[in-house]
This record gives sequence, C-alpha cells and structure tokens, in this order.
Amino acid sequence: MTRAATPKLGAYAGLAALGLLGALATRRPELVVLAAPFALSAALGLLLARRPQLDATVELAVDRALEGDELELRVQLQADAGAERVEVLLELPRELVVEDGYNPVLLRLRDGERRDLLFRVRCTRWGGFRVGRIYVRASDAFGLFRHETVLDRRVPLKVYPAEESVRNLLRPLETQVFSGNHVARQKGEGIEFADLRPFVPGDRIRRVNWRASARRGELWVNEHHAERNADVVILLDSFAEVRRGDRTTLDPALRAAASLAARYLRQKDRVGFVAFGGFLNWLLPSTGTSQLYRIVDAMLDTQIVLSYAWKDIDTVPRRTLPPQALVLALTPLLDERSQAALLDLRGRGFDLVVIEISPLSFLSTPEGELAELGHRLWRLRREAVRGRFERAGIPVAVWGDESSLAAALEEVSTYRRQARAVHA
Amino acid sequence: MAAGDRLPAVVAAVGTAGCALTALALPGRWPSLLPAGLAGVGGGYGVLVGLHSGVANGAAPAVAAALFAAAELGFWSLERGAARYERPALVRRLLGIAGGAVATALVGSLVLAAASGVSGGVGLEAVGVAAAALTLAAIAFLASRSSV
Repeated sequence: MTRAATPKLGAYAGLAALGLLGALATRRPELVVLAAPFALSAALGLLLARRPQLDATVELAVDRALEGDELELRVQLQADAGAERVEVLLELPRELVVEDGYNPVLLRLRDGERRDLLFRVRCTRWGGFRVGRIYVRASDAFGLFRHETVLDRRVPLKVYPAEESVRNLLRPLETQVFSGNHVARQKGEGIEFADLRPFVPGDRIRRVNWRASARRGELWVNEHHAERNADVVILLDSFAEVRRGDRTTLDPALRAAASLAARYLRQKDRVGFVAFGGFLNWLLPSTGTSQLYRIVDAMLDTQIVLSYAWKDIDTVPRRTLPPQALVLALTPLLDERSQAALLDLRGRGFDLVVIEISPLSFLSTPEGELAELGHRLWRLRREAVRGRFERAGIPVAVWGDESSLAAALEEVSTYRRQARAVHA
Repeated sequence: MAAGDRLPAVVAAVGTAGCALTALALPGRWPSLLPAGLAGVGGGYGVLVGLHSGVANGAAPAVAAALFAAAELGFWSLERGAARYERPALVRRLLGIAGGAVATALVGSLVLAAASGVSGGVGLEAVGVAAAALTLAAIAFLASRSSV
C-alpha cells in the first residue's frame, strides 16, 4: 500500500508550533492550552502510525446473466493488520448498477478481521465484463496518514441480451438433409400428407390408403412430406450504428439475433452467425445448446469498428454461408457496403430476409427548416434503398420502437407467402 | 484612542479573518486554507488574552476544546470521497472527536492549574522554552521517520 501524509499532519504540527511559540512570546499559558491538543494529536498519530495489510476476494453468484437480471456480488475483505477507517470502492462498468449495498463504503477493520460486503448488482446492458477491481484507502484513527492500494481481483461476467418475444419463426424456402421440424418439399418420413401413389413391394401396410384403394380397385399408399432441418445464418450488420445516450441500434439487433438463434436451435436447425462490418466475426452453422453459447459469446464481442475499407460478401468464408441457407440480416441500413453485400447475396440465390433496425427512434427531432428538409431527404433515401431490396425480391421488415420483432417477422412471412402466390 | 478601546476591534478583526478563511476553505475544499483560518481564530483569542494582563483566562480549556473539535470536523469535511459510513465507524469517529474535545478541556485545565501555581522567573521560562522546543522537535522527528 502506498502511504501519504494528509494535509492534517502538517496543519496540526504548524498549529502546535504557532501556539507554543506564541505562548513563549506573549508568556500566556492559554496559548499552550490551545496548542496542546494539536501537538498531542500529531505526536500520538505519528507514534501509533502503522501500515495496514488488507486483502480482498471477489465472488460472483453467477458468471452468466441476462440483461435486466440482478446478481449478487460478494467482496470479502481480510485484514491482517486492520485500520480505523477503510474506504472500499468496487469499480463497476457503467452497464452494472448497484441496486443494494453501498459503493463506496467506509468501515472499520480490526486486526485479523474478515468482512463480507454484499452488493446486489443489476445488469442494464449486454456485454462481456471483468468485475472486481477494488480501490482501498485506509487511514488511522488520527487521520494523519492515508494508505491506498488497488486490488485487482477481477472475475469474468457475461451478460447476454434479453430475449425478444417471437411467436412464429420464418420458414426457410429450402431444407437440409437432417431431420428437423420443417416440412420439406421432398417426400419421405413425416406426418404431413403429400400425395398418393400405387403400392409397391416394400411399402408398409399402415401407409395404405384404404379409401383410395377401394375406389380404384388396387392398393394405393399415402406419401408424406419429410421433416427436415434447415440452415439459418444470422447476419449482423456492424458497419455503423446510431447511438443516443446508452442506447444504440446494435442493442435491439443483438437481442433479436440472440432470440432468433435460440429459437431456431431449439427446433434442431443449424444456425451460423456473421458479424459483418469493420470487424468481421463469424461462426460456422451448427446445432445444439453449445452452439447457442458460442453464438451469444461471439455476439458479445461484436462492436462497431469504424472502417473506410470497402468490404464485400467475398470476405466472409464460403462455408459460413452454406447454399440453401436462410440468411436473416439485421441491419440499420446505414452503410452502403452492407447494402451492396446483401444485394450480392440475393444475386447469388440466397434465401435472404432483411430486418431493418429502425434508427428513427434514436434520432432527435430536427429543428429548423433546413434540418427538417435534410431529415426528409434522408428518409426518402432510405425508402429508395428499401425499394431496391424489394425489387430484388428481398423482403424488408422495419422493426422500431412502435412495433415488435414478432410483428416484423409476421410482415416478412406475409410478404413471402404473397410473393410465392404471385410466382405460382 | 486608548489601547483598551481598540481591543474589541482588533479581536473582532483577527477572529473574523480566521472565520472567513475557514468559511472559504470548507466549501472551496482547500485544505491548506483551513489551518490558516484556525490559526486566525486562535490568534484572535490570543490577542484577547494577550492584552489582558493578569490571571489566566479560565475559558481557555473550553476555547481549546472548541477549536480542536472545529479542526477535526473541518478536516473531516475536507476529506475526499463519497463513501457511506457504516454506523459503527461513524459512531466511533464522532465519539473520537467528542473524546478529543473533552481530553483537550481536561489537559487544558491541568495546564492552567499548573501555570497558575508557579511564579515567573528566568529558570521557569527556560524550562518552558525547552519544553516547547522539545515538543516541536519530537513532532518533526516522528514526521520525518513516518514520511513516505
């Protein structure tokens, strides 16, 4: 611990000296009386001064939490040599707010004493954090010396984005070969009726459609659609964001990405993740709970990195975007590079859906005629971008403050149903 | 104007200057100004008793206790940090200040009693000078030994 004398030491010594010298000069004992407490206090404080020996450990009740969760954080202080006043400050990132417990707190620690400080912390925003840097400042009873140290006892904490409510997921146009929950166009084992065909040796008796067989005078069997899984790739546009205070367009995008990944993985689909922006991050499609954790961990590393380098979809590894995958793009439609990449993906035949994270609620109301005009032009340009996507056959759903993710997905489903009907 | 007539004005001026410095030091958080303010207040009292020749002022222990308590509270308010005190630590600190004030009054009374029982002389003054010098030397020595 570093030690420093407080201003009080110099002040008391000075006042004592002044009083005693004044008493000598004026020959008045009253000034000795005035000087005595300062002299005694300084002398006793100096005699009894010693260096405290403090240590601390930090324990988190959980190392993973969801946005909005409250968790318990315990700081255990151990004093081999205590101090009269120990000030403890636990450094916390802005995203973690102390709901219960005092931070900083000032307490007394006797020699050999152990003390537990309990903090109830609320996670206000997603992210990967390391919590547990403790600033300790101790002082003696006379307050003449200050001892300071920083104890780095950080432990990792991952705060995952909260789940958005999603009622119906988007059905991919194409399915893969493994069994899953999507009704495939191919015929095979399943429960969804597809067609009738004449009986051939090897068919199971339970597949015989007796009513059709009786009508046609020969054995006919039911055919079913196979139930297959699908490949879903969540593409997160991390080129640009709009920020207002602590809120950014990346927050709803990540919440949506996490919710969609969890839901698709729950129905046995293979899910991949691409953070496409100044900083490229990707995960190959896979299944299972471990993939969900991998995806969410990869999301926590996602950040908006300012970059002027032109990047196209070729920079994404080929295996990350398997053919016939449903690509769900979450984008604020702010950067031309991501727009070009999405059009490129569509051009390559990917089943692409764009969920636009509306930045409008993050903007302040334009003031003045010129600002209003600029705002209107900017909105018109965004409309034009959406029009380009729709002409290319890419459904775009706008998700803002006034609507839910479920509504945006429903909008896309309707678009895809109608588009298919027109093609038919 | 006689010296006795000017006395209240001088005492008031020195005391007011001390109070003003203290008042500036506390909200402005200037620790170096606080001792000057305290010295001013003590100096005002010193002028008062210095111009009154004769017996020692009986209020000195109470004044010393008040000045010490004011100094402790003043430095407490100047301490940085927004830490919340745990109740036992807060009670101990308040009791410490109160105890210090009481001890100051007691020691002051003893000093006054000892001073009133002796008559002046070169020998006694020499002892006083030596005691003051020793006290200051002890503080200086301890401070140098305890310095960072």
